[in-house]
Amino acid sequence: MAAVSAELRFGQVSFSYGTVPALRDVSFALAPGERAALLGRNGAGKSTLLRLVTGLLHPAAGKVSVGDWDTSGRTPESLARRVGSVFQHADQQLFARSLRDDVAFGPRALGLAAAEVARRVDGALAALELSAHAAEHPYDLPPAFRKLAALAGAFALEPAVLVLDEPTAGLDRPLRARVARALSERAAAGVVVLVATHDLAFAAEVLERGLVLDRGRLAWDAPLAALLTSSERLTPLGLAPPVGAALSAALDLPGRPVRERDVAHTLARVAAARGRV
Amino acid sequence: MARLTLERVSFWYPATERPALRDASLAVAPGEVVALVGNVGAGASTLLLVAADLAPRVVGGIIKGTVDFRGRGNGEGGRGIVLPTPWTQLSGMAFTVRDEVAFGPANLGWPRERIAGAVDRALDALGIGALAARDPATLSGGELQRVVIAGIVAMEPALVLLDEPTAELDPEGAGLVWRLVRALAGDGCSVVVATSDLNALPEVAHRIVWMEDGAVRRIGDPALLAENALCEAGLATTVADVWRTARLGAPYPLTVAQAEERWRQ
Repeated sequence: MAAVSAELRFGQVSFSYGTVPALRDVSFALAPGERAALLGRNGAGKSTLLRLVTGLLHPAAGKVSVGDWDTSGRTPESLARRVGSVFQHADQQLFARSLRDDVAFGPRALGLAAAEVARRVDGALAALELSAHAAEHPYDLPPAFRKLAALAGAFALEPAVLVLDEPTAGLDRPLRARVARALSERAAAGVVVLVATHDLAFAAEVLERGLVLDRGRLAWDAPLAALLTSSERLTPLGLAPPVGAALSAALDLPGRPVRERDVAHTLARVAAARGRV
Repeated sequence: MARLTLERVSFWYPATERPALRDASLAVAPGEVVALVGNVGAGASTLLLVAADLAPRVVGGIIKGTVDFRGRGNGEGGRGIVLPTPWTQLSGMAFTVRDEVAFGPANLGWPRERIAGAVDRALDALGIGALAARDPATLSGGELQRVVIAGIVAMEPALVLLDEPTAELDPEGAGLVWRLVRALAGDGCSVVVATSDLNALPEVAHRIVWMEDGAVRRIGDPALLAENALCEAGLATTVADVWRTARLGAPYPLTVAQAEERWRQ
């Protein structure tokens, strides 16, 4: 459950690294409970956009707000009351002696009482099925589990907005499914979920809205399914359809399902109708 | 004769009781692409570190069994590894992408023209020519991953070891890396790659090594990625998995193209 619900809003935001422009005039708003994929080529500006949400960077022009907070005047520590984040290579960022201590770091830093910290940590570890590893040293676990632990740390802040950069890189299928489940639960509780990813199969499972950056500009903002079923739309943006969508197009399946489960279901139905099992 | 041979290799990281690699045997021929697939903790990354002579030499730990590499030490004619953490692999000595990619070849003492040629070819193969003048510190994760791969292949190694080389790449970048892998193999270089990009493998790998719990469980051609046991382990291609879930009967197709062919019959 998010402690507060808040909208995430970008209003005509631009940002440059020195002379290298990274984002130009980006505007969108995500309502509580919305699940959005942030897509685009390498270097399109995805990670920059996420850093602007967390307050690690501030816009050169325009405004980023989380509910009634303008991020400009705020440090990442102060924004952490509303924004939880997991960056690429989060598995390298753990430092405590047990997984439990690591996940507790955020809520403790918020100044919460011990009982509340414990409640949040238990909840976050359970959401990612990490409870059995709570006492282990983070670096005794494989990097993929450390990545989940970093996600648990973000959950434990009970933020209004969760921003994640490539959360499934290096995860196998069972762990991806675990992350998918946990993110859906967060969104159902009213959290804004924004995920930068190249894993379009994962995006199709969990996320509903697609935001695509192309050389720093927001080139697409619409339902994800409408994007993933269209090669004509994906290709110019440097994206390729996930295999499920490619299969349903190649076999001309009715309704062009995208999610793997739906593709399998439709395939079975059509095959049965054709009299082959 | 095999370029790389592991014979009954076990490896323990420092201060651990369970081996991360258990009795693993594998031979890789010149010009061969071998893909290691497995779930988290299967030992694929560890096998690469052992094959690169980084474990135990650099990371510490204990090894048993024999690792035999037929090639020179490092770089040209030797072995190069691309770690899954590209930012840890930058030299820290270069202020442009071009200099970063040239760092390895320059250390091999090559003449200037040869270095320039190798760097150009590597930048081109990874599609990062446009980034040549950029400071590596300003690159995105995926751009950095391509720069590190370019830096390794520019040294013209005889064995390339890749750990999740496409994890942070967009489809275009991933496509370039897989094409490069085939091109390296075509030139006689051996490639061992640990990857979770299972859908790319039917067109890239000559052999698949299924690893589980530190051990080599099966070795086979890419058709292995459509077997029931791999579907159950979550290690089959998406198409094979979908086909099986739809109960359309084995053998399952591996790729969209195979599925299409089967569907039309």
